[in-house]
Amino acid sequence: MHKFIHSNFGRLTFFIGIGIFLFLLGNRVDELRVYQGATLAMYVVAISSLILLTGYSGQVSLGHGALLAIGGYSAALARNHLSAPVWICFAIAIVVAALAGAVLGTAAARLSGPYLAGTTLALAVGLPSIANQFGILGGEQGLLFDVGFPPMSLGQEFTQYKWYFWIASLAALISLWWLQNILRSRYGRTWRAVRGNEVAAELAGIHAGKSKTLAFTISSGLAGLAGALLAMTISTVSPSAFPLSLSFALLTGAVLSGVTTLAGVMIGALTLVVTPEIADAISNRFANSENVTTNLPGLLVSALLILVVLLVPNGPVEQMRTVRHRKRASTHK
Amino acid sequence: MIGINRRLLVASAVLATSGLVISTVPAQAFSPRAEVGVTATSIKLGVTIPMTGAASPGYNKIPSAMKAYFDYVNANGGVNGRKITLVVKDDQYVPTLAVAKTNELILRDKVFALLGPLGTANIKAVAASVNPARRGIPVLFVNTGYSGFAIKKTYPTTFSLFPSYIMEAKVMAQYIKETFPDKKIGLLYQDDDFGVDALAGFKQAGLTFAVKVPYASGSQGVSGVPATWIQKLSTAGAEVVVLFGVTSATAAALGTAAVMKYGPKWILGSVGGDATTIKALGVPVGVLYGAIGASYLPAPTDTTDDYIKLFQEINAKYNNNAVFDNNVLVGMNGAFVAVQAIAAAGAKPTRKALIAAIEKKGSTFFGAGLAPLNYSATNHGGYNGYWFGTYSPTGEMKPNGGAYTVYTTDSGTGAVVKSTYKRPAMPANGLPIK
Repeated sequence: MHKFIHSNFGRLTFFIGIGIFLFLLGNRVDELRVYQGATLAMYVVAISSLILLTGYSGQVSLGHGALLAIGGYSAALARNHLSAPVWICFAIAIVVAALAGAVLGTAAARLSGPYLAGTTLALAVGLPSIANQFGILGGEQGLLFDVGFPPMSLGQEFTQYKWYFWIASLAALISLWWLQNILRSRYGRTWRAVRGNEVAAELAGIHAGKSKTLAFTISSGLAGLAGALLAMTISTVSPSAFPLSLSFALLTGAVLSGVTTLAGVMIGALTLVVTPEIADAISNRFANSENVTTNLPGLLVSALLILVVLLVPNGPVEQMRTVRHRKRASTHK
Repeated sequence: MIGINRRLLVASAVLATSGLVISTVPAQAFSPRAEVGVTATSIKLGVTIPMTGAASPGYNKIPSAMKAYFDYVNANGGVNGRKITLVVKDDQYVPTLAVAKTNELILRDKVFALLGPLGTANIKAVAASVNPARRGIPVLFVNTGYSGFAIKKTYPTTFSLFPSYIMEAKVMAQYIKETFPDKKIGLLYQDDDFGVDALAGFKQAGLTFAVKVPYASGSQGVSGVPATWIQKLSTAGAEVVVLFGVTSATAAALGTAAVMKYGPKWILGSVGGDATTIKALGVPVGVLYGAIGASYLPAPTDTTDDYIKLFQEINAKYNNNAVFDNNVLVGMNGAFVAVQAIAAAGAKPTRKALIAAIEKKGSTFFGAGLAPLNYSATNHGGYNGYWFGTYSPTGEMKPNGGAYTVYTTDSGTGAVVKSTYKRPAMPANGLPIK
C-alpha cells in the first residue's frame, strides 16, 4: 500500500481519482459552489507556486500578485489580439510569466531575506499600475478576457462557471502532479540542499545561484497560470484585480498550508475561500453591523495565521507527519 | 495486488458515500412564486460597493443612505405592500471581489435586482463574468458616469443614473467658452477611460487647451508628483484650470497649488468636487474658495431645496444623522428613483417587468436631480445635465446667479442647451408613489 502510493503510477492514479471525484462533485453542487471551486483551484496553483519558491527553494516573495498580473495580462492580450485558443493563452501566460520570473530570479538570487522581500514587495506595488501607462493594457478599466462559452456538446444545462471549474481544476491537477514530480527529481533535491545550507550545497557541486533562478522561473510560470485562471473567473484583467492584499493573502495561504509541504496546499486555498463565508454566517447570526461584516474575514484570517505560526510553525500537514514519525519511532523501540 | 484492491475499495467507498451525501442535499424547495427575491411582503435588492480599503472613504456612506430611505418607505407601507431590503457586500474596489460578491448576491441571497454598484472596472468585470444580462437580472442606477453603461446594446439590463463624463465635459466646455473667452485654459485629467470620455467631450465641444496634463490613476498619492502638474500648468501660464479627476487628485492639486502660490481660476469636475471628502483628505476647505464646480444634484447644504430638506430629515431619523454630504444625497436619490421603478413594475413585479417599466415610464420618474431622466426603449442613460456654482469660504457650492441654471446635452454630437425641465416638487409625504 505504502509502496503503491509512492510509486509514479500510484500517484498518477491518485490524481486521476481526484479528477473523477471533482468531475462528479461539479455535477452535484449549485452554481455558487462551482464558482468557488474554480476560485479554489486558482488559489491552489498560486499557493503551490509560492510553496515551491519559499518552502523548497528558501526564497521569499511578497510580490506574487505581480507575477499573477503578468500571466493574466499576457493571456488576455493573446486572446484579444491574436485570437489564440484558450489553451494557448494559458501556455503563453505561463511562458511570459516564467520569462519575467527568470529575469527577476537572476536578481533575486543575489538577494536574500529582507532585501528580497523588499524587492518583490516593490514589484507588487508598482507593476499593476504600469497598466495605466500603456494604452494597449486598457488602463484602470483593464481588458476583457473571454474564454468563450462551453462547447455545445456538453449540453444546454452546462453553465459558464462549471466550464471555468473544469478548466481551473484540470490546470490545478496537472500543475500539482507535475510539481510533485519535479520536487522528487534532481532539481527538487538541489533546491532543498541550497535551502538547507548554501555553502554545503556549493561544496557538493551545486550552482546555488542557478538553482535559485530556476526555482524562481518555475514558480513564476505557475503564478502566471494562476493569474490567467483568475482573469478567467472574472473575465477581465485590470490593475485593481491584483492588489497588494492578493500577494499577502497568497502568502497567508502558503503559511497556513505549511510552506514546506505541497500536500497541505488545499488547506490554505480552502481557508482563503471559506473564511469570508464563515465570517458572513457569523455576522449574519450574531451581529447586524456592517463594520463587523466587513472586518471579520480579515480578523479571522489574521488570528488563524498567528495561531498557526505559534502552534504549528511548519503547517498542519508537516506537524501530523512529525507526530506520526515520533509515534512510529516510539513503538519500534 | 491486495494493496491496489483495498485502495480501490476504499476510494470507491469514499466516492459512493460522498455521492450519497451530496444527493441528500434537498433540492430547491419550489413553491409557486412570482419572482426571485420577491415575496408577498418583501423585495430584496443587493449592492456591491467599497466599504473598506483605499477607495472606500465617502463611497461607503452610500449604502446606509439608500437603506435609510428604504426604511422610511417601509415605515410608510412599502411599495405595493412589500418592504424593501438591501443586502450590502464589500468589494473593496477589487474586481475579483466584486464578481465573487455579486455571485453571492445572485446565487445565495437571491436578490431581485442589483442597485447602485460602484466602479467602472468592477461593473465591467461583473458584466463579463457574472453576466447579469444573460440571466435577465436588472442592474439599476450604477454609481459611475462612464458613458458605455447607458448603451442598451452592450449592457441590456443595466441602467445608469449619472450624466456621462462626455456630457459633463461638453457642458463645461460651453460654460468656459462663454465665461472665459480670452483666457488661457489648462486641463488636468485622469489618463484612463474616465479622462478619455472627458477629452472626447471637450473635443466635441471645440474647446482648445493651452496645456493638458494627464496623470496616472494612483500617482496623486506619490510624493512630488502633484508638484510636477502644478509646475506644468503654471509654466504654460494657464489662467483657468479644469480638474477632471477623482477627489484625491483634486485635493492633491489644490493643496499643492496653494503651497506653490499658484492661484488660477479652478473648475472642478463633479467626480472630484465633494467638499466633505476633500476636507477629510486633509486639505483646508478654504482652498476651494472661489473655485467653480458642476453638479446635477442640488448642493447638499442647500436647505431651501425641498428634496434636501426631506432627505436631511430622513437622514436624522434613519441614518444616525450622518454628515449630510454628496454621497448621502447620491444614495438617497438612487433609492428614491429605484422605489418608482419597482412600483412601475406592477403589483407582481418580475425582473422583466422591471426593465420594461423603466424603459416605458422611466422618463416620468423624478428625484433630486435638476436635469430630466432620459430612459427609453433605446436609451438606458439617466440624467443629462449640469449646473455651475461657486464654492463659498466654508466649502459650500452656491449656484452662479443665485438659482440653479441647468444645461443639458447628450453623449453624442448634440448641442448644449439651457434646460427647460421643471423638476416635480417633493411630495408632501416624501414618497414618489401613491
